[in-house]
Amino acid sequence: MQDVVNQVINTSFGWGWPSWAIALIGYLIVAAILFGIAPFQMLFLTLYERRAIARMQDRIGPNRVGPEGAFQPLADGVKIFTKEDIVPAAADQWVHFIAPCVVVAPTMFMFAVLPWGPGMVPVDMNLGLLFFFAISSVSAVGLMMAGWASSNKFALVGAMRAVAQMVSYEIPAVLSLLAIVMVTGSLSIVELINYQGGLFISTRDVASVPDWGLGWFIFSPVGFLAFIAFFIAALAEGERTPFDIPEADSEIVAGYMTEYSGMKFGLFYLAQYVLNFLLCAITSIIFFGGWQGPGVGWLYAQAITPANLQGDWIFNVLAGVLGVFYFLLKTYGFFFVMVWIRGAYARLRIDQLMDFGWKFLIPLTLVNIFSAAIWVGLTKWGAADGLAFVEGWSPLMRWAVAFAVTLILNLGAYLFLARIFAQSQDERTRQDDEVLEQLTNVA
Amino acid sequence: MLKTEELQINIGPQHPSTHGVFRMLVTVDGETVTDLKPVFGYLHRNHEQIAEVNTYLQNMPYTDRLDYFNAMANNQAYAMAVEKMVGIEVPERAEYLRVLMVELTRILNHAGALGFLINDMGAWQTQLAFGMREREKILDLFESVSGARLMCNYFRFGGVARDLPPDFMPRLKDLLVAMPAFVDEMERLLRENEILLQRSEGIGILPKDLALAYSVTGPVLRGSGVAYDIRRAEPYSIYDRLDFDIPVGSVGDVYDRILVRIEEMRQSRRIIEQVIAQLPDAQGGHINPKARQNVRPPVGDVYARVETPKGELGFYLVSDGSSKPYRYKVRAPSFINLTPLGDMCRGYKVADMVVILGSIDIVMGEVDR
Amino acid sequence: MTIEMQRGSVIVMDRRRGKLRAGQGLLQGLKVVWDHWAGSFRTNDNFSKIHGTFTVEYPDERLPMPQAYRNMPVLLFDDESGHELCTGCYQCQRICPPQVIHITQAKDPVTGKMVPAATEFIIEYDACMSCGFCAEVCPFDSIKMDHVYELSTADRVSLTMRKTQLNRPISYYTGIAPDLWAEAQAGAMKKLQGSIKRRPDVIGLAASLTEKIKARRLELAAAGQVAGGGGQEAGVAPAAPAAKLTPEEKAAKLAAMKAAKQAGGAPAPAEAPVELSPADAKAAKLAAIKAANAAKQAGAAPAEAPVELSPADAKAAKLAAIKAANAAKQAGAVPAPVEVPSTPLDAKAARLAAIKAANAAKQAAEQSNNE
Repeated sequence: MQDVVNQVINTSFGWGWPSWAIALIGYLIVAAILFGIAPFQMLFLTLYERRAIARMQDRIGPNRVGPEGAFQPLADGVKIFTKEDIVPAAADQWVHFIAPCVVVAPTMFMFAVLPWGPGMVPVDMNLGLLFFFAISSVSAVGLMMAGWASSNKFALVGAMRAVAQMVSYEIPAVLSLLAIVMVTGSLSIVELINYQGGLFISTRDVASVPDWGLGWFIFSPVGFLAFIAFFIAALAEGERTPFDIPEADSEIVAGYMTEYSGMKFGLFYLAQYVLNFLLCAITSIIFFGGWQGPGVGWLYAQAITPANLQGDWIFNVLAGVLGVFYFLLKTYGFFFVMVWIRGAYARLRIDQLMDFGWKFLIPLTLVNIFSAAIWVGLTKWGAADGLAFVEGWSPLMRWAVAFAVTLILNLGAYLFLARIFAQSQDERTRQDDEVLEQLTNVA
Repeated sequence: MLKTEELQINIGPQHPSTHGVFRMLVTVDGETVTDLKPVFGYLHRNHEQIAEVNTYLQNMPYTDRLDYFNAMANNQAYAMAVEKMVGIEVPERAEYLRVLMVELTRILNHAGALGFLINDMGAWQTQLAFGMREREKILDLFESVSGARLMCNYFRFGGVARDLPPDFMPRLKDLLVAMPAFVDEMERLLRENEILLQRSEGIGILPKDLALAYSVTGPVLRGSGVAYDIRRAEPYSIYDRLDFDIPVGSVGDVYDRILVRIEEMRQSRRIIEQVIAQLPDAQGGHINPKARQNVRPPVGDVYARVETPKGELGFYLVSDGSSKPYRYKVRAPSFINLTPLGDMCRGYKVADMVVILGSIDIVMGEVDR
Repeated sequence: MTIEMQRGSVIVMDRRRGKLRAGQGLLQGLKVVWDHWAGSFRTNDNFSKIHGTFTVEYPDERLPMPQAYRNMPVLLFDDESGHELCTGCYQCQRICPPQVIHITQAKDPVTGKMVPAATEFIIEYDACMSCGFCAEVCPFDSIKMDHVYELSTADRVSLTMRKTQLNRPISYYTGIAPDLWAEAQAGAMKKLQGSIKRRPDVIGLAASLTEKIKARRLELAAAGQVAGGGGQEAGVAPAAPAAKLTPEEKAAKLAAMKAAKQAGGAPAPAEAPVELSPADAKAAKLAAIKAANAAKQAGAAPAEAPVELSPADAKAAKLAAIKAANAAKQAGAVPAPVEVPSTPLDAKAARLAAIKAANAAKQAAEQSNNE
């Protein structure tokens, strides 16, 4: 964006503004666009979810307001804006007021590092991934504030659950990404996407593979297991079924949102759906190549880029449109999976959630990191690193061996852990019986 | 160890998962329930007292409102009580029609109950929507035969209000085609799903002796492993001519209750198929022509009970010879099944408490009356 | 494990323990939901299908109501004559469990006698429980359950329905429940004819039509086409009050003729009263006279029958009849001239008197024959 602004102001008009002013204007424009896009995503996703889940339940869903219900979110928005804002008398007024803002703000920040298409990233940070996850956990503070300030038992229990859940599921999420980061060797999100060119095999692993933009991490055992673990953790982060425990309506009414109404309630919803969108987006970026897809790489090679200043601007537009199309397709596809899971499953219990996170997901992701190490060693290392026996193999051979080894390792680890985990659950069930017996005897 | 403090939470009477206006006074230690007191009476409608100022027939539509999921089964219990008192013979065909309706009721109740149970576990209405779809079909049939979907008011002393309309049988046969697919689907959704297993296995165990001590009936009792079904224990109507099995559980937890309900839907379908086969040969019309609408039973008392989908529903009537019951008492299965809730929930988590309540399958209209 | 028992067994449900649970159940669940999603683009309109959308988009499309559907009770009236089927018999009011039906029986404005019709019929829709008992007990098939279910109002009062709001033509009911009406039609129409005969003037006519009839009558009266207040030519209501008197007279006449025949063996040709308007009184008189005559002819001495009939009403007619009967019974007294009221009598009373007289005469004749 800054180069475009620079082009317009300094080259076309010849005003010769300083570079900081150019940068400021550029960032302001980008921020304005993103602040427009984020609530729009929320509006769209609410309608999308309602329509999709209605289909799963043999219903039609909201289709009254506008064509096929397109304006339903707007109607909901108007309704939520005009609702009375009720603050409980016993609530801590200021904390109660600030909490929704604290929850919404981080989700907006996270847009800063999200690449939408080739060359379309607000800020290409070399620590983008770290920034993304560091910022996402800030909203836990807001949830705690909301629950505590409401002075309501349900809200407090909900906030406690929310924080416990968010904190524990950050770990498997980050650990699963660590495996990917080990493979790419970079924390930059743009670099992560660039790595995923190719056809089922990344061009960075095997240079002879044609670049169709399909060298996604999901096609490797390491990436697949990381994807499963990350997506489960993302469901927990985004408070989606089966991990919507903090707002389990059948148990604790609406969790930390119980005492909120009107637009403050709307802000929580906004934050939640924007976070869901971001989690789907980051999943599609890390494991499904983001904007990578057939044709984008070729189009972008013809476009005006710092590397290719002789390109045609029309290819910029084409590559951008196709890239954004692929990206949103994948993102909404993942949101569909989230809805699908919500349509199919019940909710876990809070202790089971913790069990699952700590006793199953974290060991699994640790094994996956080990697999990633083997993958890196087999595909990248040579005699200098102490792996002399791979020297004679062709890149494809090295890739195939790495694939087979990591597949066996990951599958074995999964089945082993599933069995261990199931047994531990059985034991826990029996413990509960004893507790019940004790309590019954006491009473 | 950190010092913990017990917290008292009122779940209800205004709470999304208490199945009506019902309050649970829960003492929790962290997330563990250490004590639970069920508090009911918020939906008290003075049912029994109203019944004493109505004539016997006028009470029939009021019984619909007891357990509004199973209006037909309630009707049957009440009709049986009055028939026993007055000594009215029910024609064979009417008995078949009654059994047909009551078994359809059982299917629709279990379809709904399982859906609500999964909803309590946190699913987002999908299983409930599937259950409701089948329930709607059955309600359509009820509507075509009795005129109303829920408040059927279909039974009369000495038979049923009217015979089947011509389009009833083809639709019923279509429904029976869909039924196995529906039950299998429900089973696939419920039985193997790891999340549901985690939420239901070993949860809310009601041991056999405790269940008997609380005089629990219905699927809750059978889930605890007691093969007690009034259709077999004291065969009424024409149940002694029909083949069906009684499913029982082995542990007595929420999972067993789910399994029992799924199997009971299958058995009900089996009964309905037998009824369809035997109905054309049945003697008599849909109502005993000698039956009067305005009955004056002789002085005395009577207790009649049936196996409704929720358990033993009994009507105890005392007559003083007039056209109105002198005393009218309902033994409501939901009410009695709800009493062991405190014992079932103690020691489990808050989330389990809701599931256990859902697995009892209560209808507050019947609990509070 | 199963336990065998008569006609079935006890099955202990298999909990399928010991199976490796590694997520296959979760995938199965996803499969089921996916099938429904994929199938939801077709419509599920058949009871044998479990896939497909089954939503009925309510305000735009509606489910057809089964004929037996019952929502709120309404009152039927005959399309042709405009007469209501309801006779105000209070059966529905008595059976109604929530006691929301209130009936006022119609009275003859002249005699004050009950007429088989309801002047007011109120149903409190807000408290009605739609049980359908009223429709079931109605001996005249007058009260039926409507299929309209959109009854919401802004206030409770407008749900208290009066007779004008409850009236529906039979054609409306045949539209919503043709089979049910076909079952009831014959009996209901027969009973309606019976009621119509006993309804003077416009009583029992559907209110919407009453106004029309009155207007039409005024019109005709103004045109001078109607003599004696009869409404035969009104057209809107073929069953007009004046015409209704004829059958009553006929009955009285017939009774008198019979009495005369049986008693005397020598049948006296009964003269039909030609002047029709105050006919009841004459019929009664005739009957009494004929009865007395018959008794006389039987060879007995007619008894003196002292009568005071000045406040002439039904009672008087009855009295006359009783006296005549006594006279016939005593069979040997001197016949006394029976004075008869000249004021218009209740048709019923007249007929009663005639019948009693006839019976008495018959008995007398039998006695004398035996002797």
